[in-house]
Amino acid sequence: MSNGNAILIIDDEEVVRDSCTQTLAKGNYRIQTASDGNTGLRMIKEFKPDLVFVDLKMPGISGMEVLERIQEIDATLVTVVITGYATIDTAVEAMKKGAYDFLPKPFKADELRLITMRGVEKRKLLLDAIALRREKEIIRENLTSIVSHELKSPLFAVQQTLYAFLAGVAGELNLAQKEMLEKTKNRVDMMLKMINVWVEMTSMDFRQLRERFKPLDIPGLLSKALEMLQVQAAAKNIRLVKHGPSSVEPLDGDEGTLLEVFLNVIGNAIKYSEAGTEVSIAIEDRDHELRVSVSDTGVGIEKEDLPFIFDDFYRGKAQSKTGELGSGLGLAISNRIINAHNGSIVVESERGKGSTFTVTLSRSKEKQDRQ
Amino acid sequence: MDGKRILMIDDDPDYVNAVKMVLEKANYAVQATYSPKDGYQALENGAFDLVILDCMMGRGAEGILIARKLKKKKELGELPILMITGIREQTGFFFVGDPRDETYLPVDGFLEKPVRPDVLLQEVEKLLGR
Repeated sequence: MSNGNAILIIDDEEVVRDSCTQTLAKGNYRIQTASDGNTGLRMIKEFKPDLVFVDLKMPGISGMEVLERIQEIDATLVTVVITGYATIDTAVEAMKKGAYDFLPKPFKADELRLITMRGVEKRKLLLDAIALRREKEIIRENLTSIVSHELKSPLFAVQQTLYAFLAGVAGELNLAQKEMLEKTKNRVDMMLKMINVWVEMTSMDFRQLRERFKPLDIPGLLSKALEMLQVQAAAKNIRLVKHGPSSVEPLDGDEGTLLEVFLNVIGNAIKYSEAGTEVSIAIEDRDHELRVSVSDTGVGIEKEDLPFIFDDFYRGKAQSKTGELGSGLGLAISNRIINAHNGSIVVESERGKGSTFTVTLSRSKEKQDRQ
Repeated sequence: MDGKRILMIDDDPDYVNAVKMVLEKANYAVQATYSPKDGYQALENGAFDLVILDCMMGRGAEGILIARKLKKKKELGELPILMITGIREQTGFFFVGDPRDETYLPVDGFLEKPVRPDVLLQEVEKLLGR
């Protein structure tokens, strides 16, 4: 910042204000001072400081109250409290009110300089974090429209051309040619479908899911998922075994997205399992929650991959035996869906021994929210 | 059906070509244009029986604007418009099966990309037979 960071000093003692201003004068700062809390708060709106020093003991509104109000105005403003009554209690209280640090009177010039530097640095980090979050959001949105437009447009052209050939408009095809084109067309169809899922899922506002909630029969939904995955499992001779009650008290949720989660987690288990093994799906009905655990004896997940597997576009090192590549979005989306259900999804895994994904859906929370 | 003239406005020449092949095989006369400007120009210079329009020209769903503009032109009369589009690619518009608002999108037919040749020909016949 060419103009330097803006620093506001709120202290009723003129000598403190002056000495602070002098001490910091050599640094690249813009400094203003206020002799009481109300003046200081008014100045914050115009001066827009990065760092505010607040004396705790002042006539008029107290330093603690000033801290509270600053938090309301801008929670990213960094505040440091100055006081002659440095006790652990006041320090703790100030920190609770959002103060970043604490400067006991009397203090040395170096102490002030150091704490100022750190405060300004803290402010920068806070602003950077906000900018990064925002940037990430923009990238996510842009990615969605890039993926959808730039990938789908050429695929539409390819697909439409294949349709034309298959319809024989460029001359009759022999059987072998027809079969090959048919296969190609199916591959492109799959691709388009996958892109649609990505786009819908990444651009979806999961907070709006709650509006679609209705009582769901979770074991029934699981059976549906298992049925849909049967072909995939049979192709690898993997047995899908369901444990637990086949009927439980209905639980509020969104059917479409929860089915997506089950398909995803169980689909992963099949994908990363050896042929001829078993994937077990256990339902556990507890008082306030329902747990669905999916266990496989497959390749498992590397320890270093574990913290990231729910991140967007993250793919672990483990490859499925057939070399199938995931979208890198399945678990990220599942995680978001489950979060929108006030639930949790956790994994336990060991490389080479298999993984267990547990989805916990809370019942009590739903009820509280409805009231 | 011989001699019926169809104007296509779509910014993807490869896509246009694939559709054109099917239409020409069915003995329609097809003129392809790849921008709204060329589309309007073609309409001024010649008579058409049907316009096939893509929705996502450029970035602003320009096809929708073209459809509105064409429907306002008295001299074009009852010229039917068939929209073939991958519009779902831009989320937030509308989804399959949603009722279409006639004032928002004044088209006579609506198909999604990619469109099967038999479905395309059926729809074109329907619109031309009115």
